[in-house]
Amino acid sequence: MGLMKKSVSGRAPWLVCALAAGLTAAALRKWQLASAFEEGTGLAIPMAPASVTLACLLVMAAAWFMILTTYQPVSKRPWSVGQAHRWDLVFLDAGDPVYPILVVLAAFVAVASIPFLLKTGMGQWQAYRAAVKAHIQPPSNNGILAMATAAGALLSFLGLLQMGRDGLHAGRRGKGGFAAALPGVAGCVWLMGSFRAHAANPVRWDYAPQLIAIVCGMLLYMDFAGMSTGAARPRRLLWLAAMTAVMSAPALVSAAAWENWADVLLLTAQTLTAAAVLWRLPPNLENPPKLKRTPPPRQPGEASIQEETTDE
Amino acid sequence: MENWETKTEEGQDPEELRPGQAAPEEDAEQSGAKLRREASDGRDLYLNMRVLVVMMGAFVLLFTFVARVIVVSGPSMENTLFGGDLILVWSAGYVPKQGDVVVLTQESYQEDSIVKRVIAVEGQRVDVDYGVGAVYVDGVPIEEDYIKEPMRLPGWGEGINHVTVPEGCIFVMGDNRNDSADSRWPDIGIVDTRCVIGHGLVVLFPFHHWKGL
Repeated sequence: MGLMKKSVSGRAPWLVCALAAGLTAAALRKWQLASAFEEGTGLAIPMAPASVTLACLLVMAAAWFMILTTYQPVSKRPWSVGQAHRWDLVFLDAGDPVYPILVVLAAFVAVASIPFLLKTGMGQWQAYRAAVKAHIQPPSNNGILAMATAAGALLSFLGLLQMGRDGLHAGRRGKGGFAAALPGVAGCVWLMGSFRAHAANPVRWDYAPQLIAIVCGMLLYMDFAGMSTGAARPRRLLWLAAMTAVMSAPALVSAAAWENWADVLLLTAQTLTAAAVLWRLPPNLENPPKLKRTPPPRQPGEASIQEETTDE
Repeated sequence: MENWETKTEEGQDPEELRPGQAAPEEDAEQSGAKLRREASDGRDLYLNMRVLVVMMGAFVLLFTFVARVIVVSGPSMENTLFGGDLILVWSAGYVPKQGDVVVLTQESYQEDSIVKRVIAVEGQRVDVDYGVGAVYVDGVPIEEDYIKEPMRLPGWGEGINHVTVPEGCIFVMGDNRNDSADSRWPDIGIVDTRCVIGHGLVVLFPFHHWKGL
């Protein structure tokens, strides 16, 4: 066990596995688009090799990352003397620019989706209004969700900028979760919009990977926020980051194939954030941030937040 | 391994990270109480938000893979379903059967989904006789106590009215036969079962329309 733990320490296993699985998933999705759907109707060919292989890869990736989380070394007590009271500074490393660069890049990629979302939303809204005025059956999608997703992308931009800043410069402890929760909550609107856009599509492969990728991204951001609020799930956060990167890859291929640039940018943004988490979190989990300040004495009978809430 | 202490000396909040200096005990106690209070407030808020986000994700995945709720639009299924009715549709593992109310998408007709009743499945012979207002499946007239009114010849002609349903397909019709675009109309025609989104189970809303389908 000790040998195994030593062999998976650090960020390399996570980054290499996520990259390999993501690239393979993207390649399989391209193969699937070329071979697993009927020409003309676009309906899925049952048990097409590309579809079966892609489904197997995604399930195996989920299982493999679960195994990796089991062997991820995590410091026992961030509550101990000389260490952070909570885990809100676990993404901090002032000497490493990779994490803030990735997260700030994700922020700008997310905000770049706004013009595309507004254009789509306004177009749908005008078509809806025109149908209502003409007293014909209006399209079911009136564009409101696309415009709400644009507002969510702006919130994500602000949240991601703060998350990137916190990676270089320690902010107020316990407040970092608010910034991380913004893209998580914004993801809800994006998820609803994506589902609504495909609600009548009988081909689940067209949209299911994207929905799962968005859900992984939302949960990733929420678990990121949880690191600051005494509800830390560090191992689950790592798993979600890896799965966000892997699930986003086939969804990116689909969105690019259909020239849905807003989804391409939003998926890229969450992939960059996931990569940043995989870069910074594993080494910091092994060697949690240390503070010079003496932690407050624990009250009699009081359990530590770590003991209450983490999966140690 | 990165050393936290050496890498955070510059640019940090001196109140939080003063290298080599321990805080006075009283200050530490006050600070600790404040931190615990903030942690409690923030934790409650966070947990509530997380529940909402998790529920949202779970609902969307549930609607994608298991069941979904759709709103009926148009009169083609009257008097079984009316425009504005909210129905629960089961998707997971569903195989269309004769007599079921199904939700399907036929993109040759429109991008939005439509609600119809399955009249015949693969291998069955369908004959629509407008003269007597009856539908025959494999030569036997089907009992249709659900249709709104006796069937008349549509304005666009007889359309597809004598056909054997191919493998993997279904023949569907609306219960309001005289105001329904369905398999009789060539733009819709015989429907591939892969176009079926699911089986209508129950009318959820409005409550006075509540019934199983």
